Amino acid sequence: MNRSWYNRMWSNTKACLGIIIVISFIIIAAVGPIFFEDSNAYIDTPLLEPSYEHLFGTTGQGQDVFAQTIAGARSTLFIGFSTGFLVVLLGLIVGSLSGYFGKRIDNALSLIINIFLLMPGLPLMVIIAAWLPPGPFSIMGVLVFTGWAWNARVLRSQVLSLRERDYVNAAIITGESNTKVIIYQIWPQMLPLIMASFIGATVYAIGAQVGLEFLGLGDVDKVTWGNNLYWATNDLALLTGSWWTFVPTGLCIALVSFGLTLINYGIDEISNPRLLSERIVKSRLPDLFNRNGSTPVAKDLFGK
Amino acid sequence: MENKILEINKLNVDFLSEESSITAVKDFSMHINENEIFGLVGESGSGKSTVIKSILRILPAPGVITKGEIKFKNQDILELGESELSSLRWSHISVVKQKALNSLNPLLKIKNQIIDTIRAHEQINTKDAMERCNNLMDLVEIDRDYLNRYPHELSGGMRQRIVIAIALALKPELIIMDEPTTALDVVVEKEILLKILDLKSKLGFSILFITHDLNLILNFSDRVGVMLEGKLVEVDSAEIIKSGGKNTYTKKLINSIPDVSNYNQVKVDKNEPELIQVKDLVKNYSRHSSFFSSDKFPAVDGVSFNIYQNEILGLVGESGSGKSTISKILTKLIDFDSGEILFNGEDISCISKSSNLLNYRKKVQMIFQDPFASLNSIHTVYHHLSRPILIHRSYNKYSKKERDQIVEKEIISILEEVDLSPPEDFLYKFPHEMSGGERQRISLARALLVQPQLIIADEPTSMLDMSIRMEILDLLKGLQDKKEISILFITHDIASACYMSNRLIVLKNGKIVDSGATSELINSPNNDYSKLLIDSCESGWFIKDKSR
Repeated sequence: MNRSWYNRMWSNTKACLGIIIVISFIIIAAVGPIFFEDSNAYIDTPLLEPSYEHLFGTTGQGQDVFAQTIAGARSTLFIGFSTGFLVVLLGLIVGSLSGYFGKRIDNALSLIINIFLLMPGLPLMVIIAAWLPPGPFSIMGVLVFTGWAWNARVLRSQVLSLRERDYVNAAIITGESNTKVIIYQIWPQMLPLIMASFIGATVYAIGAQVGLEFLGLGDVDKVTWGNNLYWATNDLALLTGSWWTFVPTGLCIALVSFGLTLINYGIDEISNPRLLSERIVKSRLPDLFNRNGSTPVAKDLFGK
Repeated sequence: MENKILEINKLNVDFLSEESSITAVKDFSMHINENEIFGLVGESGSGKSTVIKSILRILPAPGVITKGEIKFKNQDILELGESELSSLRWSHISVVKQKALNSLNPLLKIKNQIIDTIRAHEQINTKDAMERCNNLMDLVEIDRDYLNRYPHELSGGMRQRIVIAIALALKPELIIMDEPTTALDVVVEKEILLKILDLKSKLGFSILFITHDLNLILNFSDRVGVMLEGKLVEVDSAEIIKSGGKNTYTKKLINSIPDVSNYNQVKVDKNEPELIQVKDLVKNYSRHSSFFSSDKFPAVDGVSFNIYQNEILGLVGESGSGKSTISKILTKLIDFDSGEILFNGEDISCISKSSNLLNYRKKVQMIFQDPFASLNSIHTVYHHLSRPILIHRSYNKYSKKERDQIVEKEIISILEEVDLSPPEDFLYKFPHEMSGGERQRISLARALLVQPQLIIADEPTSMLDMSIRMEILDLLKGLQDKKEISILFITHDIASACYMSNRLIVLKNGKIVDSGATSELINSPNNDYSKLLIDSCESGWFIKDKSR
């Protein structure tokens, strides 16, 4: 089952395109900054339009926009992916404990989850970010703190349903410890959902992190995509019409999120057999397929 | 020449995959005459439901009809458009499904569900619609007051009668009944079957009847078709099929019909020590629990029984009788509310420390009903069978390599014991690469590896195909004898319980209604319910003795 998963992922156009986009950005983030010594350095007259010398032009501070866009990828993607990972890890642990043990543990943990879900996330995020010393780890902490509850809720309900499966009961009766049952019997069955949650959380983390930094709540000396946008507004990019100071960064954020969302669509199509079978019929019998219609009759499918 | 209401000619149905396709139904031809009951028999996966869904053209993707014709009153269903199909469905062909609770909308009153069905096909004013509702209720003999109730307020049998009423609402010529009585207990089943026959003689419709219960279908239908791997291997009158038919597969099926007369005559030696003693066991589930009150209903209500060492105790009961709850309590998956369970004289509710619990798990093992659900699809046979060995035995003095060798050797010998040969081939198979019977053998091997004193077998054969049930039962019985373990054999099928068990207890609504040695209970049941259960294994039981 697992091997065919990779194959199916690669043969799915959406997932494949998504993976290519995301991996290219990861490579850019890892390798790119090596070519620019200091992307914050003053290199030319401020607000130059894009040219062969400066591909994306220069900022209001006379920095190279191309260098800043590439350098910003590293910090933004690092925080995005690690926040996504932590959010899902925390959600998975809390959700599993709550769903698996049930009763009082579930009541207590569900209460905590619900409180976190009810708290207004955005203002809370802004207040905590303003209170903590600015820096990437503060932002990570804020995002994990305000974002884990939703994933915990979703993963809990999946654990709740898997817990009742016979193979879980069989493992318990065999004498398997609770930790082992959760890790070896339940989690592997949830892999598509865990992956989808991770990707969803990463998209959220990238968006929220850019938002916080745009408001000036990050470490404004660092080069990140959020800070690029922050400095662009500070330098009145819209008033002066210098679109090149924010469009490249904005496009990059949109592209990464787009790529991640494509991967999520792919996972959905692969792990949801109904979508898969509908797609097969649609691609093989494009004239006859009708989602809510009757079973197609294709007498000439195999010739006469 | 009789009039054919439905005629299927050389039907082929394919399930498409990315490049190729699998033919699920191949060259299927049959017809149903007017006013006839046609029974379709076949094991799971033989294509029965694919055929019914194709008749209504409701087979979901990736199913595609690739050949043939389905003529309903000389009109080819395969050539109809979307709107013609929707006027055909229900007003000419309707369906009664297995789970009545799933076919009724829990948020609508019975009245509204019937009226909705009529209005989907006919322009009718409210007064006339109510009149039709009243007539339908009279037809299925349910008090008209129930029109204003919701589905959950009705019993299972009433719901099934409402579903039949809805199926009759537009006076269809053909009703497809897909396991209409499987979820019901024998008493209600009998009542519903008689009702269907009665309605058929009054209204004159045809029935396409499908059930896994071979005994029932042979007596209920006029003609029977036998399906195997998507093909119809034999069609003939029920009498001829009942006497064995012509096809070898039909013969095999007929021979696998359970028979109460073939019961276990070995009486248990009462001098054997008691392995487990259950006294006044009570388990309540809360139905509507709110903050202030909870409405409790007893799933197990004061049950007492003993299991002796080295015996098979059959626990017979229908769905909802509390038998699964008992198995969960005995395996300590759930707690009970009151009563006492002594295992080897030790109170099991006192087991709390994990070392004690592990010790208990070593003695009590379980085999589950559904072989597709009791093995984890992502683990191999090796994983499933190595865990009980590694958990319950200590290999501290061995190196990892030596330990793995011992484990593998032990797995191979247990695979041989459950008749999986050659065992080496099964070691690294995944559950989906094996058949239902093979999986059930793996489950049995997993339970045996722990070397338990008691195995709880919760309907171990009910999800298996008729033809392999006997093999599994014989294997279980043989191993029980060889290893001198006790088995609590839980089932809804009294025939297999009789075949297996030394003693029987009959459970209904959480209470024991009858018990005794198998030979005594079969020949002189103490209770009307157990008598009916035993009768239900005989042919034609539901027509016999109509008064009761």
